[in-house]
Amino acid sequence: MKKIATMLVIAGALSVTLSAKNWVVDQKGKTFIPSKLTVHVGDTITFKNSDPFAHNAYTDDEANEFDVGMQPTGKETHMKINSKESFNVECAIHPNMLLEVTVE
Amino acid sequence: MIIKLGLSALLVSSTLFATSDMSKWIRPNEVPQPKDNKLTKERIELGKLLYFDKRLSANEKVSCATCHHPKRGWTDLVPVSKAVGAGRGPRNSPTVLNTAYLRKLFWDGRAKSLEQQALGPIEADVEMNMPLEELIPKLQKIQGYVKLFNKAYPNEGGINNKTLAKAIASFERTVLSTTAPFDKYAMGDKKAISKKALKGYELFIGKAHCADCHDKFNFTDGSFHNIGLKDGDLQGKDLGRYNLKRRAAWYGVFKTPTLRDITKSGPYFHDGSVKTLTEAATICASGGRYKNGVKNKSTYIVDRHLTQTEISQIVAFMKTLTGPDMKLDIPTKFPQ
Ligand SMILES: [Cu+2]
Repeated sequence: MKKIATMLVIAGALSVTLSAKNWVVDQKGKTFIPSKLTVHVGDTITFKNSDPFAHNAYTDDEANEFDVGMQPTGKETHMKINSKESFNVECAIHPNMLLEVTVE
Repeated sequence: MIIKLGLSALLVSSTLFATSDMSKWIRPNEVPQPKDNKLTKERIELGKLLYFDKRLSANEKVSCATCHHPKRGWTDLVPVSKAVGAGRGPRNSPTVLNTAYLRKLFWDGRAKSLEQQALGPIEADVEMNMPLEELIPKLQKIQGYVKLFNKAYPNEGGINNKTLAKAIASFERTVLSTTAPFDKYAMGDKKAISKKALKGYELFIGKAHCADCHDKFNFTDGSFHNIGLKDGDLQGKDLGRYNLKRRAAWYGVFKTPTLRDITKSGPYFHDGSVKTLTEAATICASGGRYKNGVKNKSTYIVDRHLTQTEISQIVAFMKTLTGPDMKLDIPTKFPQ
């Protein structure tokens, strides 16, 4: 019985991992592209930077708090969705940049 | 309520210039307004009275206008402001002009709206030094204000922190730049600015990289930078946005100010340490006042190798961003 339960847990974990999606958000012209995303817990977001200068995506939202730090042209950074709370991402240098992330 | 944007702005539809490289300098069709504080005549008029009313300060000698005066470029023309008592604030008084378009207020961007911003200076001991717990009851005793608040904000509980902030913000939202010579140029009048200023414009958007930050209609992209005004690692000095949260990118950074009406609002920079536009442009385009050893200096602040002539051309261009003062009747009588 314990074995089956363990197997179920593993299967569950696997299905979460398999369905987790990576979303790509570019930073271009001081804008997040796209500027709105609908994601699930476990998904990841890859931030690209196509601008000729650095960006710094972050959120102060507690449940999904992250700060990718200074991100120069061409470098990629990643964040993982840990919580079911929706949140906004801004750039620490250019706070007019706004990405609205809805977590479902 | 739609704010009148002046004849020339109304005549030019933004789509007309959508494909032209001048389009980004054209005034947006609407002034941004929060859903729960749309502009009305009553709100603007009430806010204007509060803005100029010295009874909002502890010693009744200081109003918002003292440090942000319409006749002084909506600032106070001194490096850092003297207010209630003997103290001086640590930073240069920023202009109220076009703050309607900003998403972060104060030099360190700590307020996310004019409504959030409005009450800060009233309570600050180096500004108006008036605790809201004292100010609200004081205003509630002025019958004239009670009536005006009820008219402007019916069903919002009369005079309280929220309605006070909303009213002042409403007035501030109407403090807008007028049509400057460069606006006429951008809208097609090629004779509106001098050849020297036009050279300056080309440098501004090109070699000098000014427009990397001083971008779009309001000549700011709302970004925050450490431009190397102070030496070394800022120990014991103003850390700017880093005071809000210890985020590496925020070390010693301050808001990129608008360049609209910039000739009216000196001295310049967050510490008011620069008297002339020539000096300001030189600092920005030569890698900062301090070239080396500045922690977290902006990657935008590098030496653009400009000649004195080129700097003077950029300054000539910046001068074309000044328009006539907006029409405004400064109140002389206040509610009793
Ligand atoms: Cu950025």
